[in-house]
Amino acid sequence: MPHQGADTVTTTELHQRDDGELIEEILRAARSGDVEAMARTAAEVSEMTRNWAGHIPWDDLADLDPSGADGELARVVADLTEMWEPAHLRNPVDPDEEYALDKNAYDFYRPAGRDLLARTEDFYGWVEARRRTETWQYSRVLEAAPDSVAQITNDLGKRTRGINFNSQDYLSFNTHPAIREAAARAMRDYGPHSAGSPMVLGNTRISDELEVALGELTGLEHVTLFPTGWAAGFGAIVGLVRQSDHVVIDRLAHSCLQQGARAATRNVVRYEHLNVEAVRQHLADIRSHDSRNGILVVTDGLFSVDADWPDLVTLQRVCREHDATLLVDVAHDLGSMGPGGTGVLGMQDLLGQVDIAMGAFSKTFCSNGGFVASNSPALKQYIKMFGGSHFFSNALSPVQTAVVREAARIIRSPEGDELRARLFTAIHALRDELTGRGLTCMGEPSPIVPLLIGNEKLARTANRLLFDRGVLAFMVEFPVTPTGSSRFRLQVQAGHRPEEAREAARIIEGAIADSRAYLSSAFGSAPR
Amino acid sequence: MMYDAIVVGGRCAGASTALLLARQGHRVLLVDRSSFPSDVISTHFLWPHGMSYLNRWGLLEQVTDVTPTYTTIDIVNDGITLSGSVPPELLREYFRDLHGDDSGVVGSYASVRRRVLDQILVEAAAKAGAEVRTGFTVRELITEDGRVVGVRGRAADGRTYEERARVVIGADGRNSFVARALDLPKFDERPRCTFAYWSYWSGFEPGRGQIHRRGRLGGAVVPTNFGQNMVLAWGPSEWSREFRADVPGNYQRALDFISPELGEAVRGGTREERIYGTLDQSGFLRPLHGPGWVLVGDAQTAKDQCTAIGITHAFRDAELVSAALHGWLAGETALDEAMAAYEGRRRSQNAAAYHDYVCTLAEMRPYRHDELQLFVALRGNQEETDRFIATHGDVAPVSEFFQASNLFLLNDAAKESSADYAVFDDFAATSRMYQQNPFA
Ligand SMILES: Cc1cc2nc3c(=O)[nH]c(=O)nc-3n(C[C@H](O)[C@H](O)[C@H](O)COP(=O)(O)OP(=O)(O)OC[C@H]3O[C@@H](n4cnc5c(N)ncnc54)[C@H](O)[C@@H]3O)c2cc1C
Ligand SMILES: Cc1ncc(COP(=O)(O)O)c(C=O)c1O
Repeated sequence: MPHQGADTVTTTELHQRDDGELIEEILRAARSGDVEAMARTAAEVSEMTRNWAGHIPWDDLADLDPSGADGELARVVADLTEMWEPAHLRNPVDPDEEYALDKNAYDFYRPAGRDLLARTEDFYGWVEARRRTETWQYSRVLEAAPDSVAQITNDLGKRTRGINFNSQDYLSFNTHPAIREAAARAMRDYGPHSAGSPMVLGNTRISDELEVALGELTGLEHVTLFPTGWAAGFGAIVGLVRQSDHVVIDRLAHSCLQQGARAATRNVVRYEHLNVEAVRQHLADIRSHDSRNGILVVTDGLFSVDADWPDLVTLQRVCREHDATLLVDVAHDLGSMGPGGTGVLGMQDLLGQVDIAMGAFSKTFCSNGGFVASNSPALKQYIKMFGGSHFFSNALSPVQTAVVREAARIIRSPEGDELRARLFTAIHALRDELTGRGLTCMGEPSPIVPLLIGNEKLARTANRLLFDRGVLAFMVEFPVTPTGSSRFRLQVQAGHRPEEAREAARIIEGAIADSRAYLSSAFGSAPR
Repeated sequence: MMYDAIVVGGRCAGASTALLLARQGHRVLLVDRSSFPSDVISTHFLWPHGMSYLNRWGLLEQVTDVTPTYTTIDIVNDGITLSGSVPPELLREYFRDLHGDDSGVVGSYASVRRRVLDQILVEAAAKAGAEVRTGFTVRELITEDGRVVGVRGRAADGRTYEERARVVIGADGRNSFVARALDLPKFDERPRCTFAYWSYWSGFEPGRGQIHRRGRLGGAVVPTNFGQNMVLAWGPSEWSREFRADVPGNYQRALDFISPELGEAVRGGTREERIYGTLDQSGFLRPLHGPGWVLVGDAQTAKDQCTAIGITHAFRDAELVSAALHGWLAGETALDEAMAAYEGRRRSQNAAAYHDYVCTLAEMRPYRHDELQLFVALRGNQEETDRFIATHGDVAPVSEFFQASNLFLLNDAAKESSADYAVFDDFAATSRMYQQNPFA
């Protein structure tokens, strides 16, 4: 028997009518102006409800003016009705917009039914609602080269032109004459097609030169090329890790790494973002019961939606102390920042000193493609054989390889330093202006400027306004970011003029303020 | 006489704020329309952080002396049972993040009748030195130069009194008089919510708290004071009119549908009081503070009962606002700065995400296939089940659980399959059936 309270409640209330019925009766009496009956019925209303609804003059209903001349009676009726009528009847909402704004993509990840085709319909219905309400940020198309300004069409066919923070071309190579010339030359020499896997006959001499150049840039001499950055990340992990091995991975590491980890083993531990101490604990924990199998620790260099990076010096040391191997994805930082374009590795004096680096060419090197680099020729051959996305996928095209090789040359030249200096001038202009306007830029100055919004509805609505106001920015939400921490990811280019960046910041601030007003939302975006 | 603070409303939010300010040596007047002990609408479940607040304030024993407590809870969704507790480490993290210290953490929960809980809080406020006036209805805010400087109200003796203070704290609930008098707007309104009906039963022993969901209906049973169990049924407010046509019959019908065992227990038990109900639960935020005033508890953010969190949130507000105001009253921080600190916490990303979580849950759409699959995947994974429960109760941030890499891993690590659960047999037909109003 549970403990007894000191005084047991009486049971006299047992057969009294419930408050809803009583309130309906009070409202009926009010309609005929019978304030006496209102007061009589009110006396039966439970203590709970009287204390809850302190704005109703329960004890003074008999004193109301039955003629209603002073408006008091009407106010009481309105207040009681509000308590007892479903609120959504008073605030009708556009059902499409409600549906579009309320759901998120995860709601559709495990659809029901055995018909794989039919069960995609549910998700499609949501996509259509997002499209109709112009809150679908995906699948926009370019009408011309994505410069610091771009002309685009959204997936409803609506066009706009705007200051472009929606393209990843950090050093503005896409319009660089030497890059275009390299592409043209390769086109002339080899044609558009590589015509085979790199394990067969897909590579050219340019591929070998590119591997050498990347080896010099990272200080890791043995380099393998992949058709995309995604394939490099995925291929590196599934190439190396087996079922009984372990992967310890930053919670926010890129999707290609997360999916590679899941594909390779069930022994996956996600650690708190950037927390090297947590890695140490996980490694000690794993080593306390498994001294036989491998452990791969996986992190991004510059994180692609948070703009921060880990302490790689300590992380690499912790890995060595536990016979674990470190893999760092330098997709966003290599070429665009750090001394001589060496990225986060160079900034931490780690050139040639991490176990494995992988990267993507798509952010700074002006092409599809990716690579994996290390100091081990054996690792290289192993990954080529067992990282399926190298062996069993067609090689980068000669044009792509030539572009990346030329990009790597410029990156390491004095011109590269100049371009990075211009890039960072624009970055600082953008961050300073946004921050000065009271908005929150996450992370550190880098080509990625994440502008924190938080609430998805606010972000989706602001995204709709921005499209019409001449700023192109990608809104990221779940599954790219955790629920409730959506943001705009602004990607800066060397070609952005500081005035453009400031102008964009002004427009963004306006769009966010207007969206808040539109949604009548009081939430800010401080993290906790 | 000039007070440092006048607190309007003397329950979870108000009495706690008064208590904490008075303990720091400030001159506090606490007023409430009601007299105590008395009840207010609530099914009065306290999550472990709610219990921890009471412990931090030295009041937990008084509560647990007369109230049964437990550490494990069952959450049953469409027949898929998740049992677990809120991990102490997550509780400590919560208190460190929000209040800067993690003392006094306890992992238990309880359901405390408000006539019991609020009385303990009011007495503690008085003991700490706050002046307490019950039966006192505030009818006017006194303002000077656009600043609230005091209140005018009718006391139990029928006379009108006027009192002044450096700040007036509105802790007067969802229908806040202070907010009405200031004509404050509502933000982030979420009109869809639940109707809730409950009563107090004896004659059976549920053992511990259980929360059930099936289709668009929910139910809960929790042992509470006086040897009774609080038994609650809820559903979407769209169905409330039909439900109201026969409250006792539909209450039983709802429980039978949600959990036949619970329906059976209630049928064999004894109802000790009338059935209570409300649907005045739509979600909204109000402005938090302005010249001379600040809001706490339901007055500042109201939301549906479906995660049973309002009291715990009122306690949280009391600690946050009293810490902020103490800094100002003691001359250590400017008022603006103090209020900005309070606002930063109360309107943060995590707070927004949880508000959305509750308001969306309160729409009472049937659980989606995805969501039910996730519950199946959680079974047998105690650590993640506990983390889910902590997330549901707003101990751990929504964003940390509902993160792609986490959800994918949970799916991968699943030990059970959906084959064991009837709800998956013909999911489409079941979902259609769930959309039918059973009370129509
Ligand atoms: C159906 C239902 C079930 C719930 N179940 C739970 C649950 O299980 N767990 C949980 O944690 N929360 C629950 N809640 C929420 C919880 O009850 C509230 O969040 C909580 O009561 C808020 O406390 P408060 O102190 O802010 O306001 P209240 O408890 O509403 O107190 C406000 C006080 O202000 C006084 N007052 C009002 N106007 C004046 C005035 N003009 N002058 C003087 N005094 C005044 C009133 O008399 C009252 O005593 C539930 C809510 C509902 C509707
Ligand atoms: C950190 C990171 N790694 C890998 C990739 C994949 O690169 P790609 O787009 O070139 O396939 C990306 C880009 O999306 C990235 O941001």
